[in-house]
Amino acid sequence: MSERPAGATDPAPAQFGRFAIHLAERRLSVDGAPVTLGSRAFDLLAALVTRRDRVVPKDELIEVVWPGLVVEDNNLQVQISALRKVLGTQAISTVPGRGYQFTVAAQPAPAATPPGARPSRAHERRGAGRPRTPRLLVADDNKVNRLLLCRSLELMGHDVTTVENGRSALERLRAEPFDLLLLDLEMPELDGFGLLEQRADDAALQDVPVIVTSSLEGAAAVARCIELGADDYLHKPVNPVLLKARVDASLERKRLRDHQRELLARLGGDRPEGASAAADAVGRHVEATLLSARLHGIDALAALQPAQDTLELLSSWTTLMLDAIEGQGGIVHQMAGDAVAAVFGMSESEPASGGAIWPAVQAALEMRELVAAFNAERAVLAKPAIALAIGIARGSVVAGRAGTPRRAADVCVGAAVQRAARLEELAGGLGAGTVLLDGSSRVALAGRVVTDTLAPAVLPGSADAVPVHALENTA
Amino acid sequence: MTHVVIDPHTFDELQASAGADFVAELVDTFAEEAPTIVAEMRAAFAEGSAERFRRAAHSLKSNSSTFGATRLAELARALELGGLPAHASGVDAVAHELGSTIVALREIARA
Repeated sequence: MSERPAGATDPAPAQFGRFAIHLAERRLSVDGAPVTLGSRAFDLLAALVTRRDRVVPKDELIEVVWPGLVVEDNNLQVQISALRKVLGTQAISTVPGRGYQFTVAAQPAPAATPPGARPSRAHERRGAGRPRTPRLLVADDNKVNRLLLCRSLELMGHDVTTVENGRSALERLRAEPFDLLLLDLEMPELDGFGLLEQRADDAALQDVPVIVTSSLEGAAAVARCIELGADDYLHKPVNPVLLKARVDASLERKRLRDHQRELLARLGGDRPEGASAAADAVGRHVEATLLSARLHGIDALAALQPAQDTLELLSSWTTLMLDAIEGQGGIVHQMAGDAVAAVFGMSESEPASGGAIWPAVQAALEMRELVAAFNAERAVLAKPAIALAIGIARGSVVAGRAGTPRRAADVCVGAAVQRAARLEELAGGLGAGTVLLDGSSRVALAGRVVTDTLAPAVLPGSADAVPVHALENTA
Repeated sequence: MTHVVIDPHTFDELQASAGADFVAELVDTFAEEAPTIVAEMRAAFAEGSAERFRRAAHSLKSNSSTFGATRLAELARALELGGLPAHASGVDAVAHELGSTIVALREIARA
């Protein structure tokens, strides 16, 4: 190894939220439990941690982890994906066009929240202004439940505020920004159902996801919470592993929504103060490039393996796809487990005339390479390969936010969206890794990649069959 | 002497995830809070308030389950789901089990 991490001589482990990293001894522990990392993954983690004050370019990371070797970006992304599975997706952010940054704030050593800290004052010690630390609100009238939930969440590295009833929770939600609400149902003054009802009629409150935690028995309470817009439900006593999984998933969805909204706002304009979500269905037509990707054959695979393996596979796949899309400046507007749809060209800095096609194609090529590397890893483990299909189309779309006052979503619609989806379907029948383009995309590429022209097909937006083009394996 | 049932697996997992010292203090908090919940049940019974009674029983069930105090949780659950009882014997049984449970929890929390 030609370069050692700058902190390699640190005598004590550094604490980052739930993670303790001992660079000199090459040890990582999460919540006090040791975690085994591969040699490359640890080198990568060390490089990110020691350079956490800045975004680290991919080339720099590759030079640290694979010194002197010529290595493709996708090897780096697979290692990033492996780290995110251990540390959580939010621990390492992708900065499109620039690189990666470790985002978990360091804590003063020794660990600020070792097991054994006084429960009654645990939340009072937390700094309110630590950047990037998710802010969680816990509403529970039962002191034991409140303290335990607060403790569990703080050990995960979150900044936690607690209240004792629904009324106080509403007041805090309206006064301060939170990333997630964990809500008990049985509470005085205003119970959990009452809070959910008020939230359903208040678009501003719907930006904060809600996980209900309750020991109420029967499916009726769960169903009612979901009907009222709760994002998830956890039975008490709350299993800490499930708690972490659900909280991480909710925070990741919110992060993605916030990111999308920030970019989509450039089209439709920001929502006026006090306006309902439905009122956001304005926007304007924009020439953009649409990409639709799907993992084919997952149904057959799911029938042959444990459910947990399927979920892990989908999580890994989604992480890799998001990385490729966001790394090229694309915006994911739809995710459905085994499918991802993204739009390129909505950034004001990109010229509308053809500027977005190249990042979309690069993302597609990257996705194909990532899946190839992922399949190579699976082959070592004697697991079957997965097949990726991609469709790319260009055209006018309308993007914005639409829905009812109770339920609203970021949307991107237009014939090009449907064309990309149709091309992806066709690609699925042509073999793993096929990327199909419509004619408009091919023209915009202006010969920068090699394409094959296939048999014409009827695509959304055209009455007659039109030529379809396949991207060759080399760019 | 009553045999108090604490599920060791549940209690061990709680200590492993939250820290043994924290759990010891959480047991102390439970020891302070739970008698007020039983008092709430008695007041609700005297007042004839079924909903207030159910809520208090529900709260005690929830905390008992957290520590793996299975017998106490079962007694509290029966009261939560059984409606306002005709007499106070059920609450008396819960109060008795609670006292033994707190002693047992403190013992294993500091073991």
